[in-house]
Amino acid sequence: MSTYRRVLNEISANSKRFISGKRRKYPINSEDAEKLPVFQYTVSKKEYRRVFAWGNLQTGALGIPALKRNESIDKLYYLQSPKRIGFGEKFEVRTACCGFGFSVFAVNSNTNDKIYGCGINTDSQIGYHEVRQHKPLGLIFYPQPIPLPFLSPEKSRVLKITAGRAHLVVLTDEGIFTLGNNAYGQCGRSIIPDEDYSRSNYINRIETIDGKKIVDIECGQDHSMAVTEDGCVYSCGWGADGQTGLGHFRNTPEFTRVKGDIESEKIVRLSCRSDFVLALNNKGEPDNFAGSCSTVAHSETHKNATPIGKIKSIASGGSFCVVVLVLKLNNRRRPILIPETLFGRNDFQPNNIVRKVTCGLNYAAAVTSLGDLFIWGRNKGACLGLGTEKDQYFPLKVAMGGHVQDVFCGIDHTIAICKPFI
Amino acid sequence: MSILQLTLAILKPHIVKHPISLEKIRNIILTSNFKIVKSKRKTITVDEAEEFYEDHKNKFFYNRLITFMTSGPSDLYILAKEDAIKDWRALMGPTKVYRAQFEAPETIRGKYGLSDTRNATHGSDSPESVRREIRIFFPEFDVDKWYSEEEPAFRAKHVTFSDDLFIHKASIS
Repeated sequence: MSTYRRVLNEISANSKRFISGKRRKYPINSEDAEKLPVFQYTVSKKEYRRVFAWGNLQTGALGIPALKRNESIDKLYYLQSPKRIGFGEKFEVRTACCGFGFSVFAVNSNTNDKIYGCGINTDSQIGYHEVRQHKPLGLIFYPQPIPLPFLSPEKSRVLKITAGRAHLVVLTDEGIFTLGNNAYGQCGRSIIPDEDYSRSNYINRIETIDGKKIVDIECGQDHSMAVTEDGCVYSCGWGADGQTGLGHFRNTPEFTRVKGDIESEKIVRLSCRSDFVLALNNKGEPDNFAGSCSTVAHSETHKNATPIGKIKSIASGGSFCVVVLVLKLNNRRRPILIPETLFGRNDFQPNNIVRKVTCGLNYAAAVTSLGDLFIWGRNKGACLGLGTEKDQYFPLKVAMGGHVQDVFCGIDHTIAICKPFI
Repeated sequence: MSILQLTLAILKPHIVKHPISLEKIRNIILTSNFKIVKSKRKTITVDEAEEFYEDHKNKFFYNRLITFMTSGPSDLYILAKEDAIKDWRALMGPTKVYRAQFEAPETIRGKYGLSDTRNATHGSDSPESVRREIRIFFPEFDVDKWYSEEEPAFRAKHVTFSDDLFIHKASIS
């Protein structure tokens, strides 16, 4: 209030004619001005999140049908910097995921429509959608509801979604739901030869594995993994490179316990984007199973004994992987520390540390404790969101209107869920 | 103008499932002046794949090739151009995608390949393998008959393009 008065006095001293002259219709009464109530500024709702998306627009995975009215989508290829998507304003988006050319959002809802998907749908990975009968839609440009067969839709919640190249796994209170391509058994059901996935309406529900509740899921390109409540890892799908870690190279159509060093560990987190999996145990040491990059693959899990400190978050991409606390990059034989200064830690923000890392196929992203997003790597389809189409060789901050909570990386597009500033 | 050469091109399952990439690769084929003699979409069977990759039988990546190629429908094309085998391989780029991304990022594999196995396309490497591969996937197609009957029309560019079938047909003059 005092600032207001001071400014008012200054203005009135400089130009008395306008403020208190005869021309003013309702002269300001200073007594009344002091009686005016002070209102609380509006703050956004606690659950409200801003959803930003950038990258390849043509697949429809961004959920942005067109940037301007009457503008054809054909003329636009890439969105080079983050754009807030309208879907996030209509629904309370809880979490999201990016597949290979499609995206899925989980929203707060009391009905069966708890997840919405958009993008490429050639394998019914985001549900069956048709305009005319027997004419399935191959591309969807605005998020459409994917009804999941919940037993009690009022109580159940979607906890996590992950997507592979052409399949989707949804973790809920009622177990996991899988949909999409099952050519390698990555949906956890038996492989049917010559199945037509483009008009498949089949959603597979797996309540428990070996009688144990599922607490975490992760998808590779063509395989799926699940962590149960006692820290065991199960996998299914394409095993030709040993991605499934089952001791053989065959396709596996149902979730099977992963073999090797991992059997004696309690796993809390998995990370996989392509054919290489990183698993993190409860002590903060990584296990890796399956390498594929043109070497003979490992079919069983191996414990990585490199002592690099306690690890908080892990991410694995097409040919590289990143781990966090002392953040290391593993594209060589030994991990190398990326300077903390590159992630915004300086004299003005000494407490800014990397909280989480995520990988796309050829790029990586890190979220810091102050809610900044740093991104680097190959810029396929402008997926880095730095306003250019050039590759980025060191972490750079993405300009975004919010505190980043979570970031989801696909192959050529990225989605970030942010808290608003106020 | 010298005699046309045939080559077999395969767009692998992950490309066929990605409508945008498929459209772009087809555009690359057309704008590079390839004529599409035969075009077919089919899911390669295990027997065909084993015969097709018999050279790689004892290599470590044999299993992943077979399981990948039989995982969904692929697009098979017989392409014709003057120096078709060499030109198509130049368009595709290096076999390994992670290498192609550095050495030849503008090639088909550099742009649309996902990993070393999922490397988007296949192209024959020699005139002998073209005949062998065509015999596997197009048993009804007779290479010698095509050279005697249709090749002059293709060479003289007396062909019409059918967009929905993605094929060039010799027009009767």
